[in-house]
Amino acid sequence: MANYKEAPLATRPKTLDPAEYFNLSPEYRRSEEDRAALRSRLKRQYLLQLNNPHRQELIEDPALTRWIHARGKNVYPNFRPTAKTSLLGGLFGVLPLFVLYFVFKTDRDKREAKMKAGTYERPYKLST
Amino acid sequence: MAALRAGLLTRALTKGKTPRICEIVLGTRAASGGSKDILPGPYPKTPEEREAAAKKYNMTLEDYQPFPDDGQGHGDYPMLPDRSQHERDPWYQWDHPDLRRNWGEPMHYDFDMYIRNRVDTSPSPVDWRTMRNTLLGFLGFMVLMFGLGEMFPSYQPVAPKQYPYNNLYLERGGDPEKQPEPVTHYEI
Repeated sequence: MANYKEAPLATRPKTLDPAEYFNLSPEYRRSEEDRAALRSRLKRQYLLQLNNPHRQELIEDPALTRWIHARGKNVYPNFRPTAKTSLLGGLFGVLPLFVLYFVFKTDRDKREAKMKAGTYERPYKLST
Repeated sequence: MAALRAGLLTRALTKGKTPRICEIVLGTRAASGGSKDILPGPYPKTPEEREAAAKKYNMTLEDYQPFPDDGQGHGDYPMLPDRSQHERDPWYQWDHPDLRRNWGEPMHYDFDMYIRNRVDTSPSPVDWRTMRNTLLGFLGFMVLMFGLGEMFPSYQPVAPKQYPYNNLYLERGGDPEKQPEPVTHYEI
């Protein structure tokens, strides 16, 4: 393992990280064990449901439900108008309306004035 | 009964979380479906709330790091490292192999961006700065050269096309009886 080099464009796997093997503190070991215990409990719960011969419905994933809820229904209740959020809202929601209005209006007014004066060059032919 | 209904309606209108019709009419709700306490909630303020949130999301307390509370609407959802699913072990037996994810594992807030068809955060052969400078340098050079080419065009000399037979006198509908004036395209 001393001369292991990662494959290009790939991250080094956790099991080949030297920090995982040498000079481990008891706290680090403890936390790793906790994480492994959590993972194995989830795995067990999933496999029990998956291999249950009497199961006829989908296995519902609460992590997925939480993700959807967080992105969909949990945004507005936790929204607070602060300086940053108001600035972002104004910049992306309010400013484009005015900016685009002025840009289009001036461009079209210029074109209209040219047409009235007779100096407008049509870029495309309208008929053969 | 009417007072109960009126009370429920005012509660519905003022509290903001509208209960469904069955709840308003009967004052009850169905027992099917998941319970509300597994769903995400507001930002955890006390240490007990943090512990409860970590337990809810199936994470250890030291791993659980909520988004900073700046009012952008994340609530207590955990902030996981921004690593794409490309970087996960391809040889481990995941529960969902195409997503490289196990059942019940907390999902990244931008999970749908980090799937294997989309954004990849794997290490690149050169660091990002070099890549960006190379790209911008190349594009800038091409823009510069095309601009110079527009300002100082250089091509083979050209002249208007010269037609024979006195500038195609007959083909252009000239009178066959009359003698056209001679047109010469050369000088000796």
